[in-house]
Amino acid sequence: MSLTMLRVTGSGLLLAGFLILPFVLGDYWIYTVTIGFYYAILAASWALLVGYVGRISFAQTAMAGLGGYVSALSVQYIGLPPVFGLLLGVMIAAAIGFAIGWLTLQLHGAYLGLTTIAFAEILRITATAEYNLTEGSRGLQVVPLLENGTRVEYYFLFLMITLACLALMTWLLQSRVGLFFQSIREDEDGAASLGVNVTLWKIMAFAISSAFAGLAGGLQAHFVQLITPSMMSLQEMGLVLAMAVVGGFHNVIFAALGGVGLQVLLEALRELGEWRLVVFGLLTLLILRAAPNGIFGIIFDALAKRLLTKGRDE
Amino acid sequence: MSMVAILEQALNGFIVSAFYALAALGLAIIFGVLRVVNFAHGELYMLGGYAYFLAVSALGMPPIFGILFATVALAAMGALVEWLLIRPVYDGRADRPEEYSIMITFALSILLLNLANSLFGPWPRRPEPLFRGGVELGELIVSGDRLAAAGVAVVLIALLLCGLRYTWAGRAVRAVSQNREAAAIFGVSVTQVGMLAFALGAALAGTAGALMGPVFNVVPAMGIIPVIKAYVIVVLGGLGSIPGAIIGALILGQVESFGTILIPDPSRALAYKDAYGLVLLVAILLLRPQGLLGTKERRA
Repeated sequence: MSLTMLRVTGSGLLLAGFLILPFVLGDYWIYTVTIGFYYAILAASWALLVGYVGRISFAQTAMAGLGGYVSALSVQYIGLPPVFGLLLGVMIAAAIGFAIGWLTLQLHGAYLGLTTIAFAEILRITATAEYNLTEGSRGLQVVPLLENGTRVEYYFLFLMITLACLALMTWLLQSRVGLFFQSIREDEDGAASLGVNVTLWKIMAFAISSAFAGLAGGLQAHFVQLITPSMMSLQEMGLVLAMAVVGGFHNVIFAALGGVGLQVLLEALRELGEWRLVVFGLLTLLILRAAPNGIFGIIFDALAKRLLTKGRDE
Repeated sequence: MSMVAILEQALNGFIVSAFYALAALGLAIIFGVLRVVNFAHGELYMLGGYAYFLAVSALGMPPIFGILFATVALAAMGALVEWLLIRPVYDGRADRPEEYSIMITFALSILLLNLANSLFGPWPRRPEPLFRGGVELGELIVSGDRLAAAGVAVVLIALLLCGLRYTWAGRAVRAVSQNREAAAIFGVSVTQVGMLAFALGAALAGTAGALMGPVFNVVPAMGIIPVIKAYVIVVLGGLGSIPGAIIGALILGQVESFGTILIPDPSRALAYKDAYGLVLLVAILLLRPQGLLGTKERRA
């Protein structure tokens, strides 16, 4: 069995699992997993930027909030159908992501982290302060994406969109662009000297990652039918970071699985109250410190190792 | 505006600057020695507030010992954090040390915030302040708890600056900030100084939290706004620059103090108040990332 076969079997099993899930689970858990798909897209988009390009950003949930607010407001005030609202949200998020990427070209590491925190907080404060438009921290009612949509319909819609996003990201990352991204992460000057348009791809990485985040945020807003500025808070960003790190942020699929997994755990451990966030925090520190490839990274590596040694014995 | 009002605002700004400086100096020392921006600094500040609360309200210590307790507890905590989490940044165990340092301190801040939320609950606590009542300075009346806390902060900053200048450990800290390799060649243990710097930075944050806790309230989220101010200050002064942090704190204190009374529409101005510092932060990072007194760095 080769590595490709391991990947194919693994993805096939997971896909089958997610397809069967809504027929086994109750309404509440279908709802929970659907929210998990929002976090999956968000965590994967963050992993795309941080894990592959090495550009840190703490503005990912702010971009999701931006996409959500743009979509909700354009539906409410201009009367766009929700689908076009979503698309507008994606485009605005991509444009703002492009602008942030362009403005922060010269910044690295902690400086970039601080700048993106500032951008995120400015967006959140604006959404809170402009209460005439956004209803402030009380939250804005949002039109549903599907009229009279059932939980199962939403589940399959979100599943399809998540799969499409992950397929798009994987395709992008396996193309030349993915190599450009990783070369920028490893050695920016070296990549530039070999002809990679470092400036362009650094900006594009921010724009692409923000576009996915904006899509996730728009979907979430039209699904939950409520959007509040707390969606853009740094605590939410911390949760998304935990999801990507626990799943494995050097691989978009692992990060997405981390998103669904942690969201489900968050609901399953409800009895623990606030302590479950403490547990997630500890888990995140432990994984960052001891196993930076994340839980799914460890599982995949272990399986691959076993399969390869077995193959050799035979 | 009358002279008294102007003086009052200036004094208020100065008092606020003293607290800001205490928190920002810790960030600057940690960044100077370890090249790590401590994203968990606000939560160390918050833990200082709770350490003071526990010592004064639960154990019944006098306030001044409460502050001392917070300082010592946070120094120990800082040393522990450095030993457990920060060390891989410079001993070659982390693949991408800078990325690791950002993510680990950010994750730590989320952990500590949730831990405080679970342990102490989200309710605000108000421990006994250092000093009660008002103080009259000529025509000005200042609340005593703020003035006393600012006084302690100024004394501590002065002590810290003397310590950095005249003691061996202080010189070692400055030497490692200036040039890691050269300091190591001259027999300074870079590892020990790294631990010392993080402990010192955490102690400063904790002391600031202990001083501010009784003035405002002790709550799990109390560190979020001050730490963002501290980022603005250290970036304004130049990351890692100690005089820069003090000048930055003085500037931000005055800007905020006068900014709030000069803006005409009060309700909106208040909603956006915390955004001004952030806009300043973004502007400095984009236009002059090295800050007022920092040195320019080129990443290879």
